[in-house]
Amino acid sequence: MAVDIEELKQKILEFATKKAKFKSKMYIKDLYKADPNAKPREVKKAANQLVQEGKLEFFSSGSTTMYGVPGFGKSEKDQFGELEE
Amino acid sequence: MADVKKHDTPMCDDLKKGPWPSFVDDIEQKGLKGKQSCLDLLGQLELSYVHKETHWKHGGIVGVFGYGGGVIGRYSDVPDKFPSIAHFHTMRVNQPASKFYSTAYLRKICEMWDHRGSGMTNLHGSTGDMILLGTSTDQLEPVFFDLTYQMGVDLGGSGSNLRTPSCCIGKARCEWSCLDTQAICYDLTQTYQDELHRPAFPYKFKFKVSGCPNDCVAAIARCDCSIIGTWRDDIRIDQEAVKAYMGGEIKPNGGAHADRDWGPFDIQKEVIDLCPTKCMWMEGDELKIDNRECTRCMHCINVMPEALRPGTDTGATILVGAKAPILDGAQLSTLAIPFIRMEPPYDEFKEFVDKIWDWWMEEGKNRERFGELIQRQSLQEFLRRAELKPIPQMVKEPRSNPYVFWREEEVEGGWKRDIKEFRARHAA
Repeated sequence: MAVDIEELKQKILEFATKKAKFKSKMYIKDLYKADPNAKPREVKKAANQLVQEGKLEFFSSGSTTMYGVPGFGKSEKDQFGELEE
Repeated sequence: MADVKKHDTPMCDDLKKGPWPSFVDDIEQKGLKGKQSCLDLLGQLELSYVHKETHWKHGGIVGVFGYGGGVIGRYSDVPDKFPSIAHFHTMRVNQPASKFYSTAYLRKICEMWDHRGSGMTNLHGSTGDMILLGTSTDQLEPVFFDLTYQMGVDLGGSGSNLRTPSCCIGKARCEWSCLDTQAICYDLTQTYQDELHRPAFPYKFKFKVSGCPNDCVAAIARCDCSIIGTWRDDIRIDQEAVKAYMGGEIKPNGGAHADRDWGPFDIQKEVIDLCPTKCMWMEGDELKIDNRECTRCMHCINVMPEALRPGTDTGATILVGAKAPILDGAQLSTLAIPFIRMEPPYDEFKEFVDKIWDWWMEEGKNRERFGELIQRQSLQEFLRRAELKPIPQMVKEPRSNPYVFWREEEVEGGWKRDIKEFRARHAA
């Protein structure tokens, strides 16, 4: 049975926020654990919606993409500094 | 505006001395025309040669709104020395099928990139995208806007996404093509927009489409799902043209390899003896082929293109699991479907893709390519999940494992049985 997307988003956000305290970047497979009953495609859809809402963020190395929670780990500004005008 | 060289770069300069045009020349010329970032790039490269280590930080959070791919964050770890490349992000632009560009488009994109980026491009990246090298975070959205609204193109794939599908030149210019490679490439790009732009998988996934078994996009070696054109009927033979090749009236190989005198064309030595399945022979002055034995190696067709042509009952062979040698060494793809009709809307093929993606998304480890999943969980498991029947062409080598692993549903009574009833017949 398909899961409710809003409920799943909430579960993912709670799971990711809890995990982000220890590990600031997560693979999509880590997020599957937020709701073991949800299908991978549903988790992916919910996680991507959370990114669009600004509640999660992508980190890409170019070859692999990971998810992070804004405010956890180093921000782009902390890590790379502000661009000189 | 001419600029002065900012950094002393003796080792980079050394690379200009070789016989071929050097990337150092190109970057330096661009820098001397006013692109500070090009001069800083050479300065940082020189520093990397001195230190024998990279000065790029890896990855980043940057992207454009709604997309989880197409932008690769790159930052200098020595921004004080090279401020104009403190941010130096890469953007990938989805190439048109078979890379047919108009000069107007190329001019427009170069002008835009001169204005908003370093002016440096890479045509093309290994996957096929046009790569725009080097811009700052604040320019990403304006570049995306220009690409979308001014040029009508989209970003390509990166990260754990479906990568931009690519194809050979196909029927547009090649008479051997058994597929409309461009139509397939375009259809896959449109169908899988979500997977292309938003990360869905444990790692990258690539489709490549080749029109014939010559496989000009090297699909069999480079992509997770290779679509390679083939035919089911007989190779078409023009016996008059065969005679013309034998008589020296038509140059073999379309005139290639003509820089040396290889002597007169010898059909026995250059075609028949080189057939891997020995399915060709001459009867008098007629060339005969046992088409049942042909493995579509294309050698005879390549040597005598006016005499031999692929058949007309065409479709594709689907192979899966190739990759470049990052984790487990280079791997060629494995045959999955020997023949499939590839006609719009390609439903049969897409059903297959959905099945293998479901398996990979459930079982694939982080950064594990699809071919590595097959290696780890077995071809048998792949066939079960893809709902394919095993065929002899899938056998790679004689079996060395004496065990047969049965699934519960294949065993009468399953794993549960009445032990008392069993012991009544068999002593412990």
